[in-house]
Amino acid sequence: MAVFNVKDRIIECKLVYYGSGRGGKTTNLEYIHKAGKKYVSEDMVSINTKGDRTLFFDFLPIGLGKIRGCDVKVQLYTVPGQAKYSSTRKLVLKNVDGLVFVADSLEVRRKANMLSLKDLQQNLAEMNISIFKIPLVLQFNKRDLADEGLPIMSLELMNKELNSKLKAPYFGASAVKGDGVQQTLKKALELTLKHLQKELKWSQ
Amino acid sequence: MSGREDLKPLLKEASIYQSQGLLDQAKEKLLEILQLIKKDQELSKDKEFIDEVNNKLKSVESDLTDVDEAPDTAELDDKVQDLISNLFSFSKNKDVAAIEGAVALAKFGQYEKALAQLQKLINEGTLPLMAAKNMLRCHLLLASPKEAVEQYKRWVSRTSFSKGELKTLRDFLANSLQKDGIKVNLPKVDESAPDKGKDSGRAEDILEISTVRVKFDQGPLKGQALDFDVVFQMGNTVSFIIKQKEKDLVNLLKPGSRLSNIQCYSPMSLFNASGVISERKKIETGAKRGHYSFDLTIDGQ
Repeated sequence: MAVFNVKDRIIECKLVYYGSGRGGKTTNLEYIHKAGKKYVSEDMVSINTKGDRTLFFDFLPIGLGKIRGCDVKVQLYTVPGQAKYSSTRKLVLKNVDGLVFVADSLEVRRKANMLSLKDLQQNLAEMNISIFKIPLVLQFNKRDLADEGLPIMSLELMNKELNSKLKAPYFGASAVKGDGVQQTLKKALELTLKHLQKELKWSQ
Repeated sequence: MSGREDLKPLLKEASIYQSQGLLDQAKEKLLEILQLIKKDQELSKDKEFIDEVNNKLKSVESDLTDVDEAPDTAELDDKVQDLISNLFSFSKNKDVAAIEGAVALAKFGQYEKALAQLQKLINEGTLPLMAAKNMLRCHLLLASPKEAVEQYKRWVSRTSFSKGELKTLRDFLANSLQKDGIKVNLPKVDESAPDKGKDSGRAEDILEISTVRVKFDQGPLKGQALDFDVVFQMGNTVSFIIKQKEKDLVNLLKPGSRLSNIQCYSPMSLFNASGVISERKKIETGAKRGHYSFDLTIDGQ
């Protein structure tokens, strides 16, 4: 839940990158940390295993400067994607304001994407949040692997399978190259801040 | 099949999966390659190629073992532990937030730090009963019921808590141990001895409730369970809002209505309760104008 400090005109909100294991959530944040020096003033915190799998979460605070007279700060998180870290995902999702669902474009990860999206929906429902009402952007990552000759799903297929009911904005991406990362974040921030503006009557 | 050249793209696929950390997929692909080799008269005699594929398979299986055996928790440095404590405490109440921070550390497997923080809160008199219960929970989570019992005994022998508070802690620990199928004789509180401990001032710590779930056992909503987010809490009275368009629900929850089947969700626990609608009023100003605010007073536990 966003924090709105009326006296100091500061808004802090929480954006979580969700998705199946090894789909590119951490890579998204790493790219934002590297490329977004203008907005990033602190180090990214990553708590991961020896094999570089996210164990608990990644955390990256960014400042967007003043928007409509309010200082807007955003906390970006990722969750661990492996199935066994379910309770950690629930903990990280607490008080979320906006979501980026990172789907893996590889054909072999088709089922994993769907299970992860279902997991997200269930965890949100346990917190009385509807996946249809929370600001959400889908990212179809690893588009670059098609150039390596690997079988990847088309954007149309992924959109149909993951987004036909949600109808959320979506972007093709290659997080490792940085393609689509900023566009995804920008859209997620736009939706989240619009939503918060309505909820908090911020402009008043 | 014309041999190795045909299988090279599959080998490349397996390698990329491995580099991506998609180890199950890499293993599957390599096993598929081995099957194809087996079926091919020429390739099945190509020992060098078979060894190459088998070596890749061993490498993937080794990586899989590393992943499976990786610990589910990690020892984190102070800076990250403090970050966890801050990031995962959400309550506006400073004292409850301190407890939430300590509990978050436990949830992330940082038990030693969680125990140290909770003990500090007890020493400071910050929601000591809640802190003590969570200390006991930590020990139980660490599969150390013996240590939980020892901790309770230390509290009994010192002046950390009043007799009333010790009784509460004893009952809490006894119930928790019973749920785990553990039978232990916990020392009873000596009623005849003078009360050395200083009561924190509250017979029972007040839990901050975030959501109430009301199950309707009769009437037009019979069989339904509805969740209401708590917008305000004063003691054991919680307030929530229902939108004006939900007229049936608004009309059903008249002041004085008894709700006997409630579940209360707090950051640290879930408990069953009953209560009474103590107030219903239409909101006249602000963003929620037109909707209805309800007060629900929960029966003492």
